[in-house]
Amino acid sequence: MRQRLEEREIAFRRLYAEHFDAVLGFALRRVDRPEDAADVTADTFLVAWRRLAHVPPAHETRPWLYGVARRVLANQRRGDRRRSALGDRLKRELATCVPDTSDHVVQQADVVAAMRRLSGRDQEVLELHLWEGLESREIAEVLGIPTAVVRPRLSRARSRLREVLGNDPPPAGHLPSKTPELARKERP
Amino acid sequence: MSTTKLTDEAVAMLPLEAGRAELLEEIMTTVAPDRPVTAPESPRRPSRWLVPVAAAAAVVAIAAATIWSQGLLPGEEKSEVASPLNLPEGQGIVLDAPGWTVDALNSDGIMFRKGQAELEVTTYDAEDYDSYVEDREHIYDPPAPGEPIQVLGRDAQMWAYSPDDHAAIRVVEDGHWLEVRGSGMDEAAYLDLLDQLRLTSQVEFEASLPNGYVTEGGRQAAADKIVRDIRSVSGKGFPGDTPSFADGDAKDRYQFGAEVVGAYACAWLESYANAVSHDQQGQVDEAVAVLGTSREWPILREMDADGDYPEVLWQIADEAAAGDLQDSYPEGLGC
Repeated sequence: MRQRLEEREIAFRRLYAEHFDAVLGFALRRVDRPEDAADVTADTFLVAWRRLAHVPPAHETRPWLYGVARRVLANQRRGDRRRSALGDRLKRELATCVPDTSDHVVQQADVVAAMRRLSGRDQEVLELHLWEGLESREIAEVLGIPTAVVRPRLSRARSRLREVLGNDPPPAGHLPSKTPELARKERP
Repeated sequence: MSTTKLTDEAVAMLPLEAGRAELLEEIMTTVAPDRPVTAPESPRRPSRWLVPVAAAAAVVAIAAATIWSQGLLPGEEKSEVASPLNLPEGQGIVLDAPGWTVDALNSDGIMFRKGQAELEVTTYDAEDYDSYVEDREHIYDPPAPGEPIQVLGRDAQMWAYSPDDHAAIRVVEDGHWLEVRGSGMDEAAYLDLLDQLRLTSQVEFEASLPNGYVTEGGRQAAADKIVRDIRSVSGKGFPGDTPSFADGDAKDRYQFGAEVVGAYACAWLESYANAVSHDQQGQVDEAVAVLGTSREWPILREMDADGDYPEVLWQIADEAAAGDLQDSYPEGLGC
């Protein structure tokens, strides 16, 4: 049992190191206050920790985490203002750090504004595509719907964004972080 | 919402090292379920069957097209057709509550709606029962069993996601169990609604569905009629063999229509693409002529009131007519 627990901890540390930036980024891109992103991130990884055996491997991990984060975020938006008991320090840090964003945004403000004029459904698939760089299959995993449903939805959403912008939508998203920076306690 | 959307790289550069490391340790000091790492795959099956029928932009409703994406071509042998709702043989569920209507239906679930309130019934196989119950226990912190209630005459456990969002898991019966989730109503209303759910025969269940739902036995005849109506406008049937529509998941008219008209359009678009690549102008013209009548296809005009699938198809047909068919067209239609 002890060995199993150690394996579990190692697996979770690895998962956390590999996906922390992506999950926090996912949350930051969707909340008003950076501290709220800390809550989403904390609850998402808490679910992953509790359900580690259910986290799918390899390329399916991140869409799974996004799916969890999306549900956490939805609860938060529905008025569940319960603050996560975890991540106080992260909240404080996020509340005070002001990044230089000029070269590191997934989308220019005018495109973000244009996306807001779309329906919530169109907006969500476009965000996953343009902000997280996900393809239809991965978006389907996040949303929990068939890929065949996502494809036309994405295609239509892009057309509508094109209409709003008056030109072609921007290229599909940024690359997710490939070389995560390990925090001190995550390092071997 | 802020208009600044940081990349993951920018997030990685934020000075969050201490908070990040502390959160990791905090999480790992919470009690995790003592579960072997070889536990079965996640039982959390998001509501993939929730196919809005009429309310939303119902391109969603081409969910039926998944039978192709899963490698099952129309007419191809597939596994045994599940009984409706994946309940024990011959059973169905109806909701005898005023103002509630069937909003979506699939092979493993049904959704009822009244205004903003929803009641979802999803069925599962017995083997998933324990893991789902364990999962739902984590709705509460600390995890706890649900409140014991009765659902359709059997024991069940109920949890509250919020004061107006509840879920109940009913015990296994004949190899299946079901979960009923009610949102947009308080606990009393939810419990009251549960009392009005009723198990029925398959015949009564199918009879309870609104007009337009396609029954298992009526699929092929309904498909034949749709194709006949299209042909009366386009002058052509399928460019090759006419596929069978006898088996499939679609049950409401919109989904079923998308399944049939999608197959027809895909066949002609494929014919068009092949003709273009082989420089066969006559066949190109024939396909363009057929697709050019698509705005008059009766089934698409019928579906147009309920969703965007027709718009997508018409857009693609226009692209073909303009000689600008995109390689991604199969994605748009679920070909």
